[in-house]
Amino acid sequence: MRLKSYLTLLPVLALGACSSGDYRLFHPINAIATQEWHATIVDTVVMLLIILPVLLAIAIFGWRYRANANAAYDPDWSHNTVLELLVWGVPFVIVAGLGLYSVKTIYAIEPYKPGLLQKQASTDPQSVLNVDVINTDWQWVFIYPDQHIATIDELEVPKGSIVKMRLTSTSVSNDIYIPQLAPMIAVMPGMRTLDTFDAPALGEYTGFAADFSGAGFSWMQFATHIVSQDDFNTWVHKAASSPNQLSYAAFQKVAQPHVNVGAKVSYFSNPDPQLFNKVVAAAQAGVVYPVSSALTKSIGSNEK
Amino acid sequence: MQLQVPGPWSLLLGRLTLDQIPYTNPILQVTFAVAALIGLVIVGAVLYYKKVGYLWREWLTTVDHKKIGVMYIIVGLVMLFRGFADGLLIRTQQVLANGPHAAGYIGATHGFLPPFHFDQVYSAHGTIMILFAATPILTGFQNIVVPLQIGARDMAFPYMNAVSLWLTTAAAVLVMISLFVGDFSQAGWVGLIPLTELPYSPGVGVDYWMWAIQISSVGTTLNAINMIVTIVDMRAPGMTWFRMPVFSWTTLSTNIIGLTAFPVLGVALALLGADRYLGTHFFTAGMGGNLMLYTNLFWIWGHPEVYFLILPTFGVLSEVIPAFSQKPLFGYVTMVAATFAIAGISWLVWLHHFFTMGAGPDINGFFSVATMLVGIPTGVKVFNWMFTLYRGRITYTVPMLWAMFGLFLLLVGGLTGMMLAIPAINYTVHDSVFVIAHFHCMVLMVVCAGFAGVTYWFPKLFGFKLNECWGKAFFWTFAVGTVTVFTAMFALGFEGETRRLDWTFNTAWKPMLVVEEVGMIIYVLSLALFAVMLVVSIRDRNKQKLAADPWETSRTLEWLTPTPIPFYNYAVTPQVNTRDELAWRRKYGMEHTKPDAYEDIHMPSNSGLPVILGALAGIWGFAMIWRIWWLAAISLLGVVLIVIIRSFDKNAGYHLQPAEIEAMERDLSIGAITAEQPDRSHHIITHAEAH
Amino acid sequence: MAHDTAPTANTRLFRPGYEGHNQISARTLGFWLYMLSDALLFTALFAAYAVLDTPMNAAGGPIASQIVNPVEGFWQTIAILGSVTSYSLATVAMKNGNRGGTALGIVAAIALAVVFLAFGVNDLTTLAAHGDGMDRSGYLSAYFVLILTHAIHMGIGILWMLVMLVQIPRYGFNEMVVARMLNLRMFWQFQATVWVCVYVYVYMIGA
Repeated sequence: MRLKSYLTLLPVLALGACSSGDYRLFHPINAIATQEWHATIVDTVVMLLIILPVLLAIAIFGWRYRANANAAYDPDWSHNTVLELLVWGVPFVIVAGLGLYSVKTIYAIEPYKPGLLQKQASTDPQSVLNVDVINTDWQWVFIYPDQHIATIDELEVPKGSIVKMRLTSTSVSNDIYIPQLAPMIAVMPGMRTLDTFDAPALGEYTGFAADFSGAGFSWMQFATHIVSQDDFNTWVHKAASSPNQLSYAAFQKVAQPHVNVGAKVSYFSNPDPQLFNKVVAAAQAGVVYPVSSALTKSIGSNEK
Repeated sequence: MQLQVPGPWSLLLGRLTLDQIPYTNPILQVTFAVAALIGLVIVGAVLYYKKVGYLWREWLTTVDHKKIGVMYIIVGLVMLFRGFADGLLIRTQQVLANGPHAAGYIGATHGFLPPFHFDQVYSAHGTIMILFAATPILTGFQNIVVPLQIGARDMAFPYMNAVSLWLTTAAAVLVMISLFVGDFSQAGWVGLIPLTELPYSPGVGVDYWMWAIQISSVGTTLNAINMIVTIVDMRAPGMTWFRMPVFSWTTLSTNIIGLTAFPVLGVALALLGADRYLGTHFFTAGMGGNLMLYTNLFWIWGHPEVYFLILPTFGVLSEVIPAFSQKPLFGYVTMVAATFAIAGISWLVWLHHFFTMGAGPDINGFFSVATMLVGIPTGVKVFNWMFTLYRGRITYTVPMLWAMFGLFLLLVGGLTGMMLAIPAINYTVHDSVFVIAHFHCMVLMVVCAGFAGVTYWFPKLFGFKLNECWGKAFFWTFAVGTVTVFTAMFALGFEGETRRLDWTFNTAWKPMLVVEEVGMIIYVLSLALFAVMLVVSIRDRNKQKLAADPWETSRTLEWLTPTPIPFYNYAVTPQVNTRDELAWRRKYGMEHTKPDAYEDIHMPSNSGLPVILGALAGIWGFAMIWRIWWLAAISLLGVVLIVIIRSFDKNAGYHLQPAEIEAMERDLSIGAITAEQPDRSHHIITHAEAH
Repeated sequence: MAHDTAPTANTRLFRPGYEGHNQISARTLGFWLYMLSDALLFTALFAAYAVLDTPMNAAGGPIASQIVNPVEGFWQTIAILGSVTSYSLATVAMKNGNRGGTALGIVAAIALAVVFLAFGVNDLTTLAAHGDGMDRSGYLSAYFVLILTHAIHMGIGILWMLVMLVQIPRYGFNEMVVARMLNLRMFWQFQATVWVCVYVYVYMIGA
């Protein structure tokens, strides 16, 4: 494992805890997260190439030239043209290299159209799963337009698919984030953003809100399951048989400020196919879902 | 069009009602009791020792740049303490409220702070630390040191200097009042949009945040003008640009940033205010508003603001490291160039605060590379400090220890900053506590340089050193606390913990949260040691007799003045012959040479108007927050009247007589910063006489 | 250390009688810097206006071409430029030590500024009366606040001029009065410059 040998360079390793699965960013699942993890390693190694020697030099100079060490003392030395060119040149070379690398990786993992996934998306368009995500105060609504179902606080995708999420918010801004899978991307009212990730392995993950959105923010997790195609189909059937339908009118109730403690899952059948667009248009037209001071005060407290 | 007033409102008191005072909250009860006790002790001491007149004449009405600087630093330290208390609450809440089964205390479901309270605490922590702790402390240093370093008697505009101080203080007071009257903002120190709009923040919290920042930023802008004019116009004869100490250079660059960046913040907040007060739609999601406009405007100020804090810090390191290496700063010219390169680039990188906005790869790529460019001049600075150590004769005094630790934090912050500059990495840690750990490394470098500066320049002002032994104990506990807290926080970032969580839902985070809490306890200890250091130093103040240069290795002009420094700074304006003037005079045995004769010195008179102006600005802010329109109108009118009254003031200062100066130069305690000056009103000259 | 030269007999360590800086030049530089910050303020406002000047940000309300009146704006431009000219003539009179002429120039400058403001206030109140106030849309918010911010600056300038009308007869042209008059000239010319930018950007391009 080359990764392991890279790992030893990380300063946090000093804690001796890196092999633990808790360090989720060290254990990427899909192509996107793996690329992000590689970028982390490359950047750290390159930077340490310069930072470690500097730290070492500071330590050595600091020890060697302490006042009572009787080392060489050159009270006037403050200029050296070659060195001064070098101190500009070395950081310049490093920044140039890392800058190039940074730009390259952006195109590979760009959440709107990741270069890494373009080949699969074009050769196997069937594997693309579209999900419309609406962020409310303080829940996540996932609409599967092609499957005609919707859920609250549960994202289920079949293994091997490429998940394309369209994102918007009813109320305030937020970030969506699934560590090990999906990069953070902003979710904003009246606007549409995109996030894309692949699902190469079965597993259960926790996605959550990353950008503060008010008093219920801490409770905004959603379960993310990567399941087999058969399990996915079964799950779609289960959701489709839900008596609750998600029309725009029914959505108004969902969109009211509410903390879903324990991230309990709900299913809906027959979501309005235009629901996502209607939510975007409504926010642009000035529809808000106000949060009263009284509600803010009661959340997470015993003063219910 | 009518002014928007959410909820009940009365003509007399605006939105203010009795139930806005959270007297039932036990945490606030304790806080109030402690604050009231400290306040009573201070007021009592002032009354008991009959120091009211002294306080008014020598401090509140002063226009002396050193006293103003000291007051800036006191305001900053008080707010630093408040901000630290907030930090302690945040850390304790997060460790207590971990996992679904975490117990709840005093009204909270998990931990002891429900979101309503926690969100105010973290918002206040950020706002206070950046705008009301770090900024005043650094402004204080610039006020104290720059006129001395360039051989001036005062700032270019001493009166305006006092106005800046009192505006900043008024804003800090407003933030403190928000503890006990109403609430503070719950939308982060950045004012997350559209969370700060009325539908989502109907209370007065955002208004407190907004007006406090607005008032203090007027003070900061005025101070920036003052600093730039002082440096451009008031350098002593012979002090050419490239003989100017690096701290003055960094002050110049930082205030150019301040002058150009703060108006943008003012506009961002004013437009938000228009949304909240006048019902406009600048940043609303609907009705043609554009919420990313706010985010862009805020960070167009916000990123330069980061360098506004960091550049003077670099200046302090560039003074302290050469002084205790007994060598000139390596690569002075490249250091100055790097300073201005950083200031320039700081304007081009703001978008890296929202790489995750969904901008295209081209835009993110541009800002990624632009951000990395900052690494070049910063790297240059680190190399130059490193070569300054080379073949030096290093003494590890307390300021030097702080400087070295600051250097370490800068390197860690730089390493992680380069990671965040890469969008591919940023997408995984953008809103995680990894970012928090990164910028805390940076701002703690500011704090380290702050304490380096405090210990370094303290004896110059007050005539006695801070206790070395307790100072070292304070330093080491602080350093250990810092490493503990932020190593754990970096780890938590890699565990995927995001910021601003009232309830830390993942139990896997528990071990590192506990480590952080341990670090916080070490911090508390270090704070206690800081207090001990102050008390011991003040107690032993008469045990030392200090020369003009108490460290004996300082290099720049400010150490040429007597210690403690008299209020007129230089009895006779010095002639500057070289860079590092004092080191040069010492080398040729001239550091004790005194001027042959003294002459009249023209000094500005004290004025009570700035402090009244500050008070009126504070009242105006309070009235605007609570929408008490009549009070707002009266206080604003008062501000305008004071500005006009001042323009009719014929007092052009007074002349110090040579005999007086000679007496003060002989007995340094007569002119010292703590001494009470005799009434000099009979020496006052008017503008008509002056010309 | 190339600049390290040993002291000679001519080396001076002190400079008795050093005059220091000149008050007027310091004040002028300080005021220039203030103007720079004010320019940044207007830059940010113009940026906000540019961002919000799209049909989408009009949110169904009027767009620029439906509310600006370049002809009326032209008369406003004439009024404000006339005000600046009057004020400049006042400073010419000041140079000649002519208090009466200076006061007359200032009064004329105030009168023209009031004419300018009257046009603007009329514009905004008419719009608001038709239901197109600043709370109608993002675009109108930007329009109103840009115009109002400039108007507030003009109001402060007028107040400043009134103070000068008191100080000139009272103190004559002493150092402080002259410094204030010169800074006010800079302030006034800057407000006219901002208005010209508003006129070109909002009124002419918008129409």
